[in-house]
Amino acid sequence: MGIQEKLSTSRRGFLKLGAAATAVGSAIASSRLVAMEQELGGADYSPVTGEKRKAVPYTCMACNIEDGGVAMIENGRIVKLEGNLKHPNTRGKLCAKGNSGFLHVYDPDRIMTPLKRVGKRGEGKWKRISYDEATSLLAEKLRAVIERAKAEENHEILNEIVMKWGRNRTGGAVKRFMHALGSNSMVNHTNICESSKKVGLEPSWGPDIESCDWANTKYILNFGSNILEAAYFMNPNAQRLVDGVVGNRAKIVTFDPRLSNSAGYSHEWHAPYPGTDAAIVLAMANVIMNEGLYDADFVRDWTNVTAEQLIAHLKPFTPEFAEKESGVSADDIRRIAREFATTKPATTFSYRGPVKHLWGAYQEAAIHMLNVITGNVEKKGGYCLPRGMGWPQPEPVPPAGPALSAIAKPPLYPLASHAVSTNAPYMVMRGEAKVSVWMSYYDNPLYTYPSSHVWRAFLGDESLVPFFTSFSCYMSETTEMADLIIPDVTYLERHDPESMPSGLYPCLSIRQPVIQPLGGTQEFRKTLIDVIHKVDPDGSLGIRKYFAFDSVEDWMKQHFDNIPGLKEEGGYERLKKDGVWPVYGKVDKETAKLVDDNGNEVKAEYGLYTTEIPDEEMVGTEISEEGTITRDGKPIGVRINGKNYVGFGTPSRKIELFKEEWRTFGFNPLPTYKRLPSRDKKPDELVLTTYKVNVHTQSRTASLKYLAEMYHKNPAWMNPQRAARLGIKDGDLVRITSPLGYIVTRAHLTEGIHPEVVAISTACGHSAYGRLATLKQRDPAARWAQGNDPDIANNVWWDDRGVHPNPIIRLSVDPIGGSQGWYDTVVKVTPAQAGDKYGDTDVSIEQAMKDYDEMLRYAYTGDLHRAAHKEVDIDWNNLPEPKLTGH
Amino acid sequence: MISIGLQAEPSYGVPGKKRWAMVVDLRRCIGCMACVAACKAEYDVPLGVWRTTVQVKNTGKFPNARRNFMPRLCNHCDNPPCVRNCPTAATYKHEEGFVLQRYERCIGCRTCMIACPYNARFMLPRNRTRVGINNVVDKCTFCDHRVSQGLVPACVQTCLGRARIFGDINDPNSEVARLVGTHKTATLKPNKGTRPQVYYIKPDRKSMEQATSAPVSAAARRDAEAFYRHNNGSRFFSAHL
Repeated sequence: MGIQEKLSTSRRGFLKLGAAATAVGSAIASSRLVAMEQELGGADYSPVTGEKRKAVPYTCMACNIEDGGVAMIENGRIVKLEGNLKHPNTRGKLCAKGNSGFLHVYDPDRIMTPLKRVGKRGEGKWKRISYDEATSLLAEKLRAVIERAKAEENHEILNEIVMKWGRNRTGGAVKRFMHALGSNSMVNHTNICESSKKVGLEPSWGPDIESCDWANTKYILNFGSNILEAAYFMNPNAQRLVDGVVGNRAKIVTFDPRLSNSAGYSHEWHAPYPGTDAAIVLAMANVIMNEGLYDADFVRDWTNVTAEQLIAHLKPFTPEFAEKESGVSADDIRRIAREFATTKPATTFSYRGPVKHLWGAYQEAAIHMLNVITGNVEKKGGYCLPRGMGWPQPEPVPPAGPALSAIAKPPLYPLASHAVSTNAPYMVMRGEAKVSVWMSYYDNPLYTYPSSHVWRAFLGDESLVPFFTSFSCYMSETTEMADLIIPDVTYLERHDPESMPSGLYPCLSIRQPVIQPLGGTQEFRKTLIDVIHKVDPDGSLGIRKYFAFDSVEDWMKQHFDNIPGLKEEGGYERLKKDGVWPVYGKVDKETAKLVDDNGNEVKAEYGLYTTEIPDEEMVGTEISEEGTITRDGKPIGVRINGKNYVGFGTPSRKIELFKEEWRTFGFNPLPTYKRLPSRDKKPDELVLTTYKVNVHTQSRTASLKYLAEMYHKNPAWMNPQRAARLGIKDGDLVRITSPLGYIVTRAHLTEGIHPEVVAISTACGHSAYGRLATLKQRDPAARWAQGNDPDIANNVWWDDRGVHPNPIIRLSVDPIGGSQGWYDTVVKVTPAQAGDKYGDTDVSIEQAMKDYDEMLRYAYTGDLHRAAHKEVDIDWNNLPEPKLTGH
Repeated sequence: MISIGLQAEPSYGVPGKKRWAMVVDLRRCIGCMACVAACKAEYDVPLGVWRTTVQVKNTGKFPNARRNFMPRLCNHCDNPPCVRNCPTAATYKHEEGFVLQRYERCIGCRTCMIACPYNARFMLPRNRTRVGINNVVDKCTFCDHRVSQGLVPACVQTCLGRARIFGDINDPNSEVARLVGTHKTATLKPNKGTRPQVYYIKPDRKSMEQATSAPVSAAARRDAEAFYRHNNGSRFFSAHL
């Protein structure tokens, strides 16, 4: 198998390291000492005693970038975190969140013992119990479902065991657990994150994200990503982006309705009307194609469309059309298109901005196309495939559950390969799915989901959710509703395998307990082993064998001890020492490039898709008329101009700008632009958008004092001129009203926002998550909590914890990508009314249920879908039947 | 209003000794705040006081708005007014350039805080998480405890954009010496005669002015008010909105 095949099957597919990715030893010293520069890190000393702090490597999980880190430990306490210099993409640096991550461990409101609910659900009355009692109770509930499924001979009952997660970095542990229990009801969180981006990319070239070669590029076209603050992979990408802009004199142009730090750092900031990115992008493509600025060879050889076909498709999308839709001038669009096409190398980057809308997947597909037609794919300094590595699962691996699950993958969204988690409560409330045991892992939908009050109603209803277990170590809005809490430990006290394509150098990394879990708390992995052993104590159910691990470390060894290359270097023990593998080289002190013993750059590999298939591997293959090379009916490469290449991870092994499967369901197979309902709002309304800031994650960091001190309130950004017309002054109390209801917050007037937009960050506005997040820091600690931090109890000086916008944000699902349209809610902003208090929130469940019905009209079977896709030439009366696929 | 030197004059400190200096390359600062968090952790810096901050300021009108970031820390002046004004010699100038604090000699009189034109000093509160040094004046030390062990300061260590560069300005081959020698740099308030040793590359008036400007937005003003209510007598040093 070629590299490409494995890469494109899954971005974490195990990548064989080629010549350019050869690992070098870690003990490197340059003999060409020029200046005696200080070391960039790797050690730390106590400023009080001067004693050296103990350094233990780990992988960060403050957010989902999974940077390499080193924990500095003083007298058994983690006092400092820094980036791991051996990690090829992190290169020794952590962001503000990563630096503050150890505060999770010492959070005074961390839950230190399992808790059983004694009052009413959500009332906050708990009995402290042992891990043994807690795992027995959960096992009993799970066993009851399994026995009922057996007694009634109905496999579908097994799917009533549901696991919902927000951040699952367990390397397959959750899936193993659920499949062992026979359930396929795994509900992720990806549709509130970037799923339509993934769905916009995967059918075209295989993997779900691009890896830009920022440091070597000359031109960056950024659509709606806040890469310097939050997007995938903020820290490594931000480092390289600055190197590209300052060191390599690259130009960066950002399109975003809001002046993020990324927009503020860019050479040009353009503020389009929300959701009109595709109009701009298609107009740029139109210019590039019609002016002959495209890479004719690449389009001909490596795509499944012709230049003529694209020119015809792009005809309506003129710069003038785009100007009308977006407000960005046609002149700018033409100029930037020409700059982008004629500056080499160049790359786009995009994240949630364009895709978190109805039909978001079209927007991403359009942006991706710009790189394809300009031939920037897999070029040095261009738009590259992600590079990740995988690890094997310990045998035996449990098979998927026997019945397909509707809640895991709603059948009305057949193209949404990352599911539609927002719909889960509505489906259960409507009887489309059933729940017996709901388990929540690293998840807080009562805070993080659109129309979050629906989740409160859902999880609060014992007739819908008879038993609810949370594995959280913090009393989040969601965990407050649980019947049983079996607290996990923090990411600095647990084991996980990791690999993230956060740069051009693929690597594996691990989490390991840098200190022993505090106060006898138990890691999730151990809890899973215990629960399975209790569900199947004698092995008679046949599931105990999937969790036959002597210890958690034994489990980790089984992941890592047999990986070729790593095995020879010591396997898991090697990873424990370095935290990451392979170690490519050393970080140059002045350029931050990875260099070898001689100070020469360790070169990244480019052009992965042009890896040639060796002749001996061609034996027994077939080649189609279009050049696709198949073995046993499976595409493995493509023949172009007489050469056999591995190509891309698509059926034709070329880039499929034309997506036949999309057409099957009545979607436009080529990237297109659809005018959003929010584009036709009334003149006195505004579009509500949300955003992340550089010092917070979506929901887990308001409890970290350093970050809360930096950012603790989220007033609504408004353009001053627009606010003046509405009679709103800077700092005024305002009511923001959507069809769901209203919130009362404050206005923050700034020139950094589109006049038709009001933007509220999602970082704050907690009603739970501990005393700091809710500013009750002077209250006594709960009996289950860790205790007190005198700094927090006495020195918190701010008095505003923010107001969260999610209750008024409407459910809006991209019918292709399944993503939540965070930026589709239309609101009215008015001065607060008499009696309104800061933080008041009043929202309707009935309206939320209506929104669900309205949204389904855009799904591929719905009437609004058909009305919006008149150009698609299919038999509309014979669309494929919805079918279950979730496993 | 503060003044900016057209071209800062590097100082070489004590002849024959190392002269530690920092260059802040404003072209590279992305306002990520990693330095602020790393510094807080390194020293168990309590809430309400800072050894370093990054100030944020928006400029311009829509759609031509921009954002500027301005990292701030002790300038480790060669002519430090804090040292001159300390009645107990608690604060002193190290021969390699650090301006340091001897906690055991500090009587908490705050004279140095008032003397410092950069607002870089603060009083440690009674309560901290783990370090038992309280009720004395503290400040940025250029991480002398790390630097003496051959490491860069904690803020430099974690700086994502590599905007903070640290080294011996007396070594002509060092990166800081070359940067100061080949770029237009500025120091803060050179007219005060303090001879600061933190050099800013590509300073523009807007970002240099924000170093000492009052909070502009209502959100920042409300934070400042809350801060002063809680920390009577302190000088506010940070605003992020």
